[in-house]
Amino acid sequence: MPISRGTRSHKAVGAALPLFLAAAALTACGGNADGGSSADGKVAGDISFQTWNLRANYKDYFNGLIARFEKEYPDTKVRWIDQPADHYADKLSADAAGGTLPDVVNVSPDLAYPLAKAGVLVNLDKEPASTKYKDEYTPEAWQANEMPGLNGGYAFPWYLNTGPLFYNRALFAQAGLDPDKPPRTYDELFADANTMARHSGGRVATLAATPAIEDFGRYGVRLMNADATEFTYNEPRGVELLTRYKQLYDNGALDAQALTNGPEESGQKFLEQKVAMNPGSAHDLSNFKENAPTLYKNLGIADAPNNTGHPNMYVMGLGINNGSRHKPAAIAFAYFVTDRQNQESVAHKVAIFPSTRGSLDEPYWTKDDGTDEGRVRVAAAKILKGAVNYTPVVMSDEMKTVLQNQVALALQGRKSPKQALDDAVARGDELLKQG
Amino acid sequence: MTRVWGRVLRYVVLLAVLVITVGPFLWQLSTSLKGRTEDIYTFPPRLLPRHPTLGNYKGVADIVPVWSYALNSLTVAVANVVTNLVGASLAGYALARLRFRGRGAATLAFVLALLVPLESIVIAQLTLMRQLGLNNTLIAVVLPGCVGAMNVLLMRDAFGHLPYETEEAAVIDGAGVWQRFARISLPSVKGTLAVVAVFSFMGSWDDFLWPLIVLSDSSKFTLTVGLNYLHGTFSSNQRLVAAGTVIAVAPLVVMFACLQRYFFRGVAEGSVKG
Repeated sequence: MPISRGTRSHKAVGAALPLFLAAAALTACGGNADGGSSADGKVAGDISFQTWNLRANYKDYFNGLIARFEKEYPDTKVRWIDQPADHYADKLSADAAGGTLPDVVNVSPDLAYPLAKAGVLVNLDKEPASTKYKDEYTPEAWQANEMPGLNGGYAFPWYLNTGPLFYNRALFAQAGLDPDKPPRTYDELFADANTMARHSGGRVATLAATPAIEDFGRYGVRLMNADATEFTYNEPRGVELLTRYKQLYDNGALDAQALTNGPEESGQKFLEQKVAMNPGSAHDLSNFKENAPTLYKNLGIADAPNNTGHPNMYVMGLGINNGSRHKPAAIAFAYFVTDRQNQESVAHKVAIFPSTRGSLDEPYWTKDDGTDEGRVRVAAAKILKGAVNYTPVVMSDEMKTVLQNQVALALQGRKSPKQALDDAVARGDELLKQG
Repeated sequence: MTRVWGRVLRYVVLLAVLVITVGPFLWQLSTSLKGRTEDIYTFPPRLLPRHPTLGNYKGVADIVPVWSYALNSLTVAVANVVTNLVGASLAGYALARLRFRGRGAATLAFVLALLVPLESIVIAQLTLMRQLGLNNTLIAVVLPGCVGAMNVLLMRDAFGHLPYETEEAAVIDGAGVWQRFARISLPSVKGTLAVVAVFSFMGSWDDFLWPLIVLSDSSKFTLTVGLNYLHGTFSSNQRLVAAGTVIAVAPLVVMFACLQRYFFRGVAEGSVKG
């Protein structure tokens, strides 16, 4: 049916995702039986290595990396596959179900969870060949890949990412706010946002997006119970945050399209200079420079506020396929890519951060070299000490959408914040039980 | 006087629709021509680039092997058009004209096939291709869509609307089924054939999910999948993305321009006048 296939509806795919995962879970049980090789043994054989959308800019880096690995272990051969940005989760689950998952795969914790649960990924805490490397990574990074209820880490920590809150100095000045004094706490943030809305008559919003799960986490809301079986973000703290966002929305301090904006749309609003603040990543600087040179001249950088003392971070990892025929080689290669030297070298190329212990104490991440990039890099590296990945790994995209929709209803005033969060939690718990 | 106003209103509405349909494409075209020093996201938007350049098109070719992807896409799309034209017209003629046991059930099967969303069978398709030893080949990309159920029904409808009398006349003159199909009926449904050709070309040219899932070797990617690389993980240059979009859309525009004469004739044609 070429006609229906031609429409690329993200919604339809999102709805079909649970189906994929169910299928993945089913076949993986069978897949385990034919099983892969033992993890101990000689590092040899042909393995495949899959990254997520890194080919365009880092082709030479990875080819060099693979060449060095093959030189160190002459009996191995690594085939590098890079997947495009969209539908990566679908590709992973289809491959897991079809038995075509590469030996080493690039996953974030939320992508790793369904795979780990289906038994497709190696539990690195169970294999002596991989546990011996555990101490080389920061404990927070290793923990980020530990799956609740599955006793162990399922991916070698790779690069980390966090970022400051970027703000538009020109818009701050226009609203009579001091561009040198960005908000540092939630109270200041909400106060400045309301001032901005008043001064611009609602034309300039301060924030472009509704609060997502990591925002609740940063605000100090307990997101889940200890064994990750139930959501708890409807506690009074969570209701308080949503109530404050409701005030912002009513005052015009949130972008008019905030209810449907995703991270990409919010970023775009910030580039259009219609929104004064946006949380970003260290590597966004190049994006600003490239796509909005005028904004770049007026760019201010502030720490994103949090009530917990722990900023938020995002983690990428490398998982090992349980069905791999050359597990020792796959583990050796995943470790090779994520070891201290190689992580630091890739982090010198793009503004991401190594997850290996001690790396962030290097002068590159502690000494400000006077450039904007240097300033953001050092600030972000500082944030990363003690940063945690707030997003619960069991929270699927569908559960995130449930929260987003309920938040939207609350902001529109069609439900009280308390009711909206109660409903989101109830639906989220239901989905958790099905999963 | 009212006639003048009616005409003005008609043009205003037509212009509005033109802006809505063509606007986004012009916007992409303009973005793809903008130089590196220009703001892309200005408000109000600026349609004419200040420093027009073709450098972004070269940039696309530097990041992805765009010509080899385009060749892959073209191979898949042309194969899809041919298989759909042949398969759908044969099946459509059989459903419309031949009498055989289970004709109703066969028609129903095609209607039901329309209701199955790709997403729900994609894993089964992938496992099937793997068992056939075809995964990671362009044949696997073509195969599931090679005879679209929708196209079969379109052709059935087109053949069904032809007057029986012409075929009866042909029967009296001694024409067999094949002759009636090829000489009498097929030339009368050129419009629908063009519709099927355009739809299957577009469908396979725009297809994303299935090629992504069945292909793992990036040298075999089709254009839509390959161009997705332009959304870099750490930085995304909208000018390059826009240039990629224009490259991807251009063949569709050409294809439509060539076939539009037949396309609009549609299914409304017949072999007997009056």
